Amino acid sequence: MKSSTVVIAGIMFTAAGIAGFADDGLLRKNWSGVAGAPTSGDQASGLPDEASFGVVDKASRRAAPEFRQVAQNTQPAAEATRPQATAPVVDESALRYFASKGDTARLQAEISRLRALYPDWTPPEDPLAVPRNKDVQLETMWQLYSEGRYAEVRKAIAERQAGEAAWKPPADLLERLNVAESRARLVNASDLKQYETVIEVAASTPSLLTCSEVDVLWRVADAFAQTKRPDRARDAYLYVLKNCENAPERLATVQKAVSGLPYDIAQELLAFERTAPGGGGEFESIGDDLARRFVAEGDADGKLAVDPKYILRLERLVETEGLASDALLLGWYQLRRDNMSAAEQWFRRAHDKEDSASAAQGLALTLIARKAHEDAEKVLYPWRDASEDAKATYFAATANLLAIEPPVTLREEVLSRIAQETTKGRDPATAQQFGWYARAMEQPGTAAQWFATALRWKPDDEPSAYGLALSRNQLGDAAGVAEIQRLWAGRSERIARLGETEEERRDAIARQQQPLAREQAPISGGRQKTPAAVTEAAPRTVTRYEVEQPVAVARQTQTTGRNATGCRTTVNPARLSPQAALTRGWCLMDLNRPLEAAEAFAVALQAPASQMREDAAYGQSLAYLRAGLTNRAAVAATQSTQSRRRAEELQSAILSDRAIAAFDAKRYREALIFLDQLGQISTQRSDLMVLRGYAYLNLKRYAEARRIFEAVAATGNRDAQRGLADVGRAQEIWPNK
Amino acid sequence: MSLRTVLILALALVAALPQAPAIAQGRGGTVSAEDWQTYKAKFVDAGGRIIDDGNGGISHSEGQGYGLLLAVLADNAADFELIWSFTRRELLLRDDGLAAWKWSPAEKPHVIDVNNATDGDILIAYALTLAGEHWRRQDYLAAAAKIAPAILDRAVIDYGGRTLLLPGVAGFSAADRDDGPVINPSYWIFEAFPVLNRVAPSPKWESLRDDGESMLDALQLGPRKMPADWVSARTRLKAAQGFPAEFGYNALRIPLYLVRAGSDDAELLSRLRLGMLGSNGDLLISDVATGTVRAALTDPGYQFVNHILACVLERVPLPDSVKVFSPTQYYPSTLHLLGLSYAKEKRPECL
Repeated sequence: MKSSTVVIAGIMFTAAGIAGFADDGLLRKNWSGVAGAPTSGDQASGLPDEASFGVVDKASRRAAPEFRQVAQNTQPAAEATRPQATAPVVDESALRYFASKGDTARLQAEISRLRALYPDWTPPEDPLAVPRNKDVQLETMWQLYSEGRYAEVRKAIAERQAGEAAWKPPADLLERLNVAESRARLVNASDLKQYETVIEVAASTPSLLTCSEVDVLWRVADAFAQTKRPDRARDAYLYVLKNCENAPERLATVQKAVSGLPYDIAQELLAFERTAPGGGGEFESIGDDLARRFVAEGDADGKLAVDPKYILRLERLVETEGLASDALLLGWYQLRRDNMSAAEQWFRRAHDKEDSASAAQGLALTLIARKAHEDAEKVLYPWRDASEDAKATYFAATANLLAIEPPVTLREEVLSRIAQETTKGRDPATAQQFGWYARAMEQPGTAAQWFATALRWKPDDEPSAYGLALSRNQLGDAAGVAEIQRLWAGRSERIARLGETEEERRDAIARQQQPLAREQAPISGGRQKTPAAVTEAAPRTVTRYEVEQPVAVARQTQTTGRNATGCRTTVNPARLSPQAALTRGWCLMDLNRPLEAAEAFAVALQAPASQMREDAAYGQSLAYLRAGLTNRAAVAATQSTQSRRRAEELQSAILSDRAIAAFDAKRYREALIFLDQLGQISTQRSDLMVLRGYAYLNLKRYAEARRIFEAVAATGNRDAQRGLADVGRAQEIWPNK
Repeated sequence: MSLRTVLILALALVAALPQAPAIAQGRGGTVSAEDWQTYKAKFVDAGGRIIDDGNGGISHSEGQGYGLLLAVLADNAADFELIWSFTRRELLLRDDGLAAWKWSPAEKPHVIDVNNATDGDILIAYALTLAGEHWRRQDYLAAAAKIAPAILDRAVIDYGGRTLLLPGVAGFSAADRDDGPVINPSYWIFEAFPVLNRVAPSPKWESLRDDGESMLDALQLGPRKMPADWVSARTRLKAAQGFPAEFGYNALRIPLYLVRAGSDDAELLSRLRLGMLGSNGDLLISDVATGTVRAALTDPGYQFVNHILACVLERVPLPDSVKVFSPTQYYPSTLHLLGLSYAKEKRPECL
């Protein structure tokens, strides 16, 4: 990149040398001929004078221009420095044209311009009475110019020159034409985000960069800002604020500048605020918005020192106007600076005024900070799905709530909704804390399930593995304990030592050791809180990540006898024995009544025998899959360990469903991730390969889409053939002749 | 004038010496004033925009390039100025110095695809160079000298030891496509390469010509042994995926470009002629896999390609039906004028 740029620059410089600088070099030559004076700065660079705007870097014309120096002069460069040694011939053709059209606005502008250009020139007393241009062709050129038909002016000039070799177009016309074309080109490039072209055109047309072309100045500033040159952008805005008088444009300049530039630069620009005719600052009318804008930047950046005057202004605004959004800005600002009680006050105001995800989340964070976890959970529950952040904060609250020592008694309703959210959101921290909570409530079976679930979502979660081992131990599942000890051998001393003195110390140790895992989850200060922050409290025994799931133990499979005739009558499965419930579950599956089957399997899951639990979990997963409840199927699959074959079968089905669901929701990247995971455990079905192809296609990854479609199409698959055609269509971008 | 400028001018002159300007000096070009007027009346709007009436009235860099070239060949400086003003202001906007390729009157911003089309860039730079030399316009030469290196830098690649022209900066490279790089053989405008070498000297122009000729020698697809419009150059040359596998509207101009560039490769020209010659001089476009004829084109602009090959190869004079220009559609009419210009300048015996 670098070397090629240098090469281009070299060639361009050569080109400039050959051309004596393209259009404007030529134009200025003609122009100075008419004006009777040479232009200055006729170096190899062919630079126009840089007095007015300093946008041009004299050393390299085509290099990025710099706003090096900003003079007070608002006249176009060439005009401002036109030498006045000899009495100039004042070109009044534009004047005459505008007069003949009765266009008084442009007429006055032209008079001002000529006056600035020629101080000795006396404008006509009655400008509207000046005689028309006698030169009809020139009159036409001015007309075309005033209608913005610049290409046609060029054509008219060339045509006339071809006919009258001696005729030279008025310098004024050429200069204006050049500026007007450059302006149009700059605007076009700006609309297409071709920022280097914008800057290049600005650099080569300094007379465009004046107060009468504020829109151009804004576009140039934007081009600098978009190409990561905020200082140059600042210079462009500064030019306006230092030199230009139009009040609405000054205001708009500040609005544009502060929206795109960082706080410090914005402050620098605001220092050029003038006193308005009424006495106040000229930007007073947007003072509230400025305060909001700067406090918001402080929300995003906790280290930013925002001037207290903006904080105060916003605080007063909350008092007078009472907008929840303003209170929120202040809440986040204080939260970012760990001023938790102030933050809580603002969030509470916002929350009371108009509850929102942001208000609830902010308030919940401050509540968590003062260990009011139950309140935090309650405040955030309605907003838990509003965003990833909201969800993360919700789980911070739930994990902390369950971890409170001694355990708080929670209402059934609260517990069940937390459980539901935990499984839905697959939050290992809360799942683990559920395990400890269940143990504290003397429910080792439930505890074991939660620990197993947590491990499934976070296989290297040693506290969960430990909790699972403790719980199995309590349930008398010696084989299960041994399995965990084997899987965690060398990675956790406390798991390894479990059971040495189990009879007498079993519960006592568990209770003693729990605090290690049950430290209060730390609160991070801002919105970026993630579940990881909660689990940072995890014990330090975890040393490495195991891909293999600790609880995935291969066991031999057994099929349970099935009987399709025995389940047609409706019974409450809770009254059945686990074995009977299991049989009924399979029976209901054979009748294609999956939801009832899932209930039956749930009862079977309470079985003491691990083999029966495995069968029940397997059955329940299949039941949920058949009912289209993929997430529940995934949870069910974790209710017990599964044989490798069954685990893969379930995983494949779950991942396929998820991939299809993600695709249908247009979440193509997610779909690809599921398909990748699927690819690791089973051979790919051709319909899913086609799905993958379309995911690529929708992501515009044409090459990959084509590869997949081609491979599947080779097997004669019609969907893939159609996919191939679709890729072709998406890529066909040239016009047909 | 600085010393540097003098030196550069001298160098430019030396570089220019071996090639005579392609335009006849003096009044009157190789495109007659009448033909240019009728072309202009139909395909050039008042603001200098070339209208592709076969594609919904859009414009593109290729059309602007053809318009500029025809204006030079018609020796019409005013119209050149008109078309150039539009082209520069509306298309020559890309940061890399190339032209955005697609412009629609119905949409705002008018440019609806900011990718380039390399043949358009070549035509524009080529026409600018001819115009700058012909009318002694340094600004045209300077503009050409900015576009030409950008073509080399952005659209000319070395792939597998061959110098290739990417049809556009985005979307055709080996990284962009499975079968990439994909090329369009009709983007090799052979006559332009030595001219561009005058404003942007580089051995790459010659490599482009040499490898372009080898490419056409090698591209003998299907029973008719014809090149395809879009070709994968990934390994062995073959029709690119996702495009109709045909010798079509793009490739049919290849023989015209070859003769205009003075090609004396009779074997190549004969093969192309044989593959596209229909009855009454119709131009056949065909499936490159099967050789099946897709269409027999009767527009005199298309037929001209066959007739000029007959004249070049077998000294058969052009029939009256194509000697007179009458505008039909933008694309065939453009080819027609380019062909007539060539005949007038280099093959008076054909007329």
